[in-house]
Amino acid sequence: MNMKKGWAIFFMVLIAMTPAMPTLGFCGFYVAKADANLFNDKSEVILVRDGNNTTITMSNDFQGDVSEFAMVVPVPVVLRRDQIRIADPGLFAKLDTYSSPRLVEYYDPMPCMPEYNYRMMESDMEINLSSVMVFDAVAESAKDLGVSIEAQYDVGEYDILILSAKESTGLQKWLTQNGYKIPAQANEVLAPYIKDQMKFFVVKVDVEQRGQFSSDRLNPIQISFESDRFMLPIRLGMANSQGTQDMIVYAFTKEGRVECANYRTVKIPTDRNIPTIVQPRFGQFYKDLFDKAYKNEGRNAIFLEYAWNVSPTWGVKCDPCNGPPPIVQEMNNAGVSWMTGNSGQVFFTRLHVRYSRDKFPQDLMFQVTPNKEHFQCRYVMNHAAQGDMSCDEGQRYLKELESRRKMEMDELSALTGWDSPLQKNYIQEFSNQIKGDVMTTIDPSSAWSIIKGIFVILLTLALFSSAWWVFEHKRASDLE
Amino acid sequence: MAQTASFPQTISSTVRSLDPRDFQIFFLSIFLCYGIYALDWGAEWSKYTTLIGVSLMVQLLGEWIVGNQQSSWKSAVITGLGLCLLLKSSELWVLALAATIAIAGKFLIRYKGKHVFNPGNLGIIAVLLLTDVAWISPGQWGSGFMLLFFFGAAATMVLLKVGRIDTCLSFLITFAALEFSRTVLYLGWGPDVFFHKMCNGSFLLFTFFMITDPVTTPSDGKARIIWSVLIGVLAFVLSHWLYIHAAPIWALIIAAPLTALLDRKFKHSLFQWNR
Repeated sequence: MNMKKGWAIFFMVLIAMTPAMPTLGFCGFYVAKADANLFNDKSEVILVRDGNNTTITMSNDFQGDVSEFAMVVPVPVVLRRDQIRIADPGLFAKLDTYSSPRLVEYYDPMPCMPEYNYRMMESDMEINLSSVMVFDAVAESAKDLGVSIEAQYDVGEYDILILSAKESTGLQKWLTQNGYKIPAQANEVLAPYIKDQMKFFVVKVDVEQRGQFSSDRLNPIQISFESDRFMLPIRLGMANSQGTQDMIVYAFTKEGRVECANYRTVKIPTDRNIPTIVQPRFGQFYKDLFDKAYKNEGRNAIFLEYAWNVSPTWGVKCDPCNGPPPIVQEMNNAGVSWMTGNSGQVFFTRLHVRYSRDKFPQDLMFQVTPNKEHFQCRYVMNHAAQGDMSCDEGQRYLKELESRRKMEMDELSALTGWDSPLQKNYIQEFSNQIKGDVMTTIDPSSAWSIIKGIFVILLTLALFSSAWWVFEHKRASDLE
Repeated sequence: MAQTASFPQTISSTVRSLDPRDFQIFFLSIFLCYGIYALDWGAEWSKYTTLIGVSLMVQLLGEWIVGNQQSSWKSAVITGLGLCLLLKSSELWVLALAATIAIAGKFLIRYKGKHVFNPGNLGIIAVLLLTDVAWISPGQWGSGFMLLFFFGAAATMVLLKVGRIDTCLSFLITFAALEFSRTVLYLGWGPDVFFHKMCNGSFLLFTFFMITDPVTTPSDGKARIIWSVLIGVLAFVLSHWLYIHAAPIWALIIAAPLTALLDRKFKHSLFQWNR
């Protein structure tokens, strides 16, 4: 992110949650995950939407001198002190782990001696943190700049101001005078927010208070408010940036999935069979896959990475699980206020947005839908059976394995654009165990599919021609 | 010597003799395929079959009960396709209900020889209000000039045939003028924000294919312009002050009864598909 000049902006939205018994669904073993930290210049937000109430929790991975941290968020109302709190810093990691893209593995049964063999392996992704944010300083405001301090609070290690302004130049001047380093282009974005009666939630770190916190990371800030608008203002954050920024949105609602109302929400490719050689580089694989999907969709879509009912009473919450699903207490911390005990419904959605100034002119508007269809971003690898393959079944298996591996490599290339030099070795790894000339024979099942396909096409053509003939015939007799 | 028509002549006379509804069915099918294959909606064939099948069945049943001489099965297919393009639900029964209400409304809610509500519009609003498992995805088409061109060109061919281009343009111009005034002139956003809103696929589909239904728009030209301007104003108010994402669809249902009122004021012969 272009945080060199550092201006952090976030947004707003909603949620609802519940805890769950960690019930494991069996569908392969989870091997690796591609968590949010893979993406540079990323921010994370938890949204809880309940009726008109929105709770937004903004992660804070700012690294550096905390006295230089600052954040400005446009909000629709003046927030009261009890609407602002510090959230549990562990929430983001928990939700990220639970919902991140997953790699699962299966083992082929041994064809000449049927038996099942499963194993579990663990590997994790490298982490590449990025940060955000700005500068600090305090000062008295000038009324003649048209800026009013609507409220001022100390919350945890933060000094918080809620500002309203009459015009953008005054606000910009005030912020600059008070040590908030605002990009020059912010003016054109501040003006519409001011006209739209938005207030500005301005945060910086109280360095003295900060000394009382043992953690070296800043805590997430959480705000709640009532508003018809369910949106995240992203425009301010792009004021000084021509590049792209990634944002992960974790949303909780009572009803179902959250989707974007003014950009396309599309599913990231999922449930694809990929070669086993991807495993050590799964993080990079997902990063490249996301990049390709983002470009394929015209760089202006929002990706669904996870959607699941996480109500405590709901059984399976992931399949397989990267990590435990959120429990009621964690959901309460995130702002899911309607959950008490184990009663209540909560649906969780994870969206991944890569936005840039040219492709995302509007702020993100969201809507809650009653769509409860589950979705997870999941990739599958199948390990080849090992051992004596001399039996007929074994020979057939080896041939199928070769064509399957070819498809896996094609899939890998289609998903990520990778063109691995290891391709041939991987496809033919076991081919030397195939006896005779069988390697060149056409798979009878694929030949049969081709014949069936041709038949269906011919049949369709015949149907259409007869319909056309009947139609023309009728028209001719009508004319007569 | 008997004159044989050349191939291009045959084609052009066939095209001329086609009912505008044939074009509409053709274009709506193309849009649906575009959504399924290019926009990754997923091929939910059971849902599409339900919507179109139920629409047709209710139409044929209604015609049988009423004893219509001429079947309007094509209109039912259009309604079914329109529902496929706009309405979302994970429950098949909800889709069946929407299709039933849409078509039954044509037979049951009538005033002076024409039905009051746009069938697709009525079906969508009914299930949004009656059930909690239906929704509209205004973002599903994305936004872009290509969509404007794509929907606009297709609609022009249909609308020129049915003479409802006035409805479409007066709605579009009213809404665009209000949107431009607020977004660009008052709030001060760049023109790209305005264009992004105006080129939203769902909005364009509504503008070109829903509001222009010749049967449920007022019969008189002047009345149609008044009516569509009103819908434009209402849609603008609903979207900017109540933050309703699918505002035009709600505006249309609210304005539907006005058609009857305007038809009383401005006398004009009823629209006939097969003129």
